[in-house]
Amino acid sequence: MTEQANVPAREAERPAPWARVLSRRRPLMRPGLQTATVVYRWDLDKTYLKSDFESLRKMVRMTFERAADKVNEPGVVALIRALKQSARQEGRTALVYFISASPPQIGRAIREKLALDGVEADGIVFKDQLQHLMRGRFRYLREQVGFKLAELLKARLTAPEGAIEFLFGDDWESDPLIYSLYADVVAGRLDPQALREILVRLRIDPARLAEIDAHSHRLSAANAVCRIFINLERRTPPARFRSFGTRLVPTFNYFQTALVLHQESAIPVRAVVDVGRSLLERSEYTPYQLRNSLDDLERRGHLMPAAATALRGDLERATILPPSGRFVRWPPRLWQRLCGRRRPSGAASRPPVAGPADYARLIDGWLASRARSAGEEP
Amino acid sequence: MPVIAVDAMGGDFAPDEIVKGVARASLTTSIECLLVGDERRIQVVLDSASYDPAHISIRHAAEMVGMGEAPKEALRAKREASIVVGASLVAEGRADALVSAGNTGACILACARQFRTIKGIRKTALASVYPRQTEYAGQDQLALLLDVGATVRCEALDLVQFAVMGTAYARRISKVARPRVGLLNMGVEEFKGGEVLSEAHRRLKSLPGIDFVGNIEGSDVAKGRADVIVCEGLLGNVVLKLIEGIAEVVSDIAGDAVKQRLTWRIGMGLLSHGIREVAHLADYTKYGGAPLLGFEHLFMKAHGRSKARAIENAVKVAAKAVRDGVPQEIAAAIQAIR
Repeated sequence: MTEQANVPAREAERPAPWARVLSRRRPLMRPGLQTATVVYRWDLDKTYLKSDFESLRKMVRMTFERAADKVNEPGVVALIRALKQSARQEGRTALVYFISASPPQIGRAIREKLALDGVEADGIVFKDQLQHLMRGRFRYLREQVGFKLAELLKARLTAPEGAIEFLFGDDWESDPLIYSLYADVVAGRLDPQALREILVRLRIDPARLAEIDAHSHRLSAANAVCRIFINLERRTPPARFRSFGTRLVPTFNYFQTALVLHQESAIPVRAVVDVGRSLLERSEYTPYQLRNSLDDLERRGHLMPAAATALRGDLERATILPPSGRFVRWPPRLWQRLCGRRRPSGAASRPPVAGPADYARLIDGWLASRARSAGEEP
Repeated sequence: MPVIAVDAMGGDFAPDEIVKGVARASLTTSIECLLVGDERRIQVVLDSASYDPAHISIRHAAEMVGMGEAPKEALRAKREASIVVGASLVAEGRADALVSAGNTGACILACARQFRTIKGIRKTALASVYPRQTEYAGQDQLALLLDVGATVRCEALDLVQFAVMGTAYARRISKVARPRVGLLNMGVEEFKGGEVLSEAHRRLKSLPGIDFVGNIEGSDVAKGRADVIVCEGLLGNVVLKLIEGIAEVVSDIAGDAVKQRLTWRIGMGLLSHGIREVAHLADYTKYGGAPLLGFEHLFMKAHGRSKARAIENAVKVAAKAVRDGVPQEIAAAIQAIR
């Protein structure tokens, strides 16, 4: 279902009965997030829009699609609105940027679509495909790593000082790799020479390589990227992203993304409620499916048990999750405790500890998968 | 959508193939699956599979019953075994049906302890579909054989009830409007097979609502004479295993023939399409599992060697049986003959 901006903003902001309870619960702010500018960088296709570009024909059709015909990923509009709104309420600055490898010719339709959705974008970058076409450089039409990395680094140079970032992509192309490279370059964990070697292996556009080289030399190191969210639109097995470290969070829907953002103190519970409600009302989700999504995130270790427990209570009160009555857990737990056997607490399979990604291995995997599926990654 | 509890720890390839099967079902259907078993191990398998978390929940169970364990002793010692927890979840109404590829004896015992039998039913029956020859166009390629192992010996009334349950199941699941029922025996004559079978024959013949075609001999099992064949568990199990065994032997013989002579190899090559068709028809993974009929709740027993595809289909068949109200249909049919 589409998420059109047919709900007036005032209606969305009207306090619900449960809002008073939730408003008492202020998130524990992550150090630095209180005052810093937060930048949210979004990929467009398959992350914000449910674009269909599996064939050349569909790609062409997508170019001529009107704004009203474009369909959002479920819950994404509610989430972006919540990011902006919660920052405004807490007196912070939240900047939302989009980056797309689609040609600038679709820019007008995209801007109209964002306006229809009520999403305030602070900037959109498109890839100038025409330039490659004119020069007959067809190989670079589908090349994304060089384009996106160069644009991200350029944007970072103009970002407010001390700004922290959250990045949003999908599992269709190279977003996990691009975003991880970007995060490590910005943090100073990947020196320009090492970056150059990686990009040469990836055979990116030489013009872009020089651009990236110049930008990365000008950057002052800062651990700016908090989290990279990958929307598992293709339902890629989450284990495939383990080598990217804990910084990267693969999520199956934007309710899961909102839960992690709440844990990161980027949004209050009320925003999670908004995203959940949007999925319930517009995307045929049920409260049980949302509860399963929350449980899944906790089991995968991306949501800490304490945060999960608190969220369950809040979301049940807001009627986003079903009352725990149907799946009461205390009798078996009590029995296990009496028997001295306890259910494994917390994450069932915690992702590995965060650290600079092993790019040699990552690139090998990426190149192999690209050979298999003609440019699709991972 | 129905909630199907799946015993993640039961089966030769558990939990990997069971969890993968549920993961596949989560992508292709909107059935909600409740995986029961070691949460940690289940999540590890899920992590490496494509799945939709919205349709999957997990209930931790610390223990499991092995395929070779004695059912009674295992259930006595392991109160937190996945099959026990799964059956109790269904009995408490937290799930609508249970699927397991685990130890058959333990499964039936766990269900017998947790589920209530339908009023009037004396013994439950494990029903299995098998491929058979069709007699006319449009006839279902599968027939139903019950009981195939839930009981050992039966009385005449039990066989009559099996016929009623099998008819109700075939009507709902196979969509056969008026299933033809046969009684497995050593001859077609009414008096053959001893007191129990003669009595069952007499009762079935006079039973309204049942299209009884008489006794079925072993040679007719694979033919299209009957849509539902009833027999006691010992006999049914032997017949089912015999069919499976013959299929394997034929496949082995064909494999050997290919190696023996070039002309045979060419012949087998020409027949390969037909052989593939037959193998496809006899492929148990397509049919999911065997339902245990007679309880108020549904239990679907998947083959012990089930892989992901078989589990996915077992989940689908269980959900279909729940949606189509198979236990309710059986209860109504049993009520009608009382």
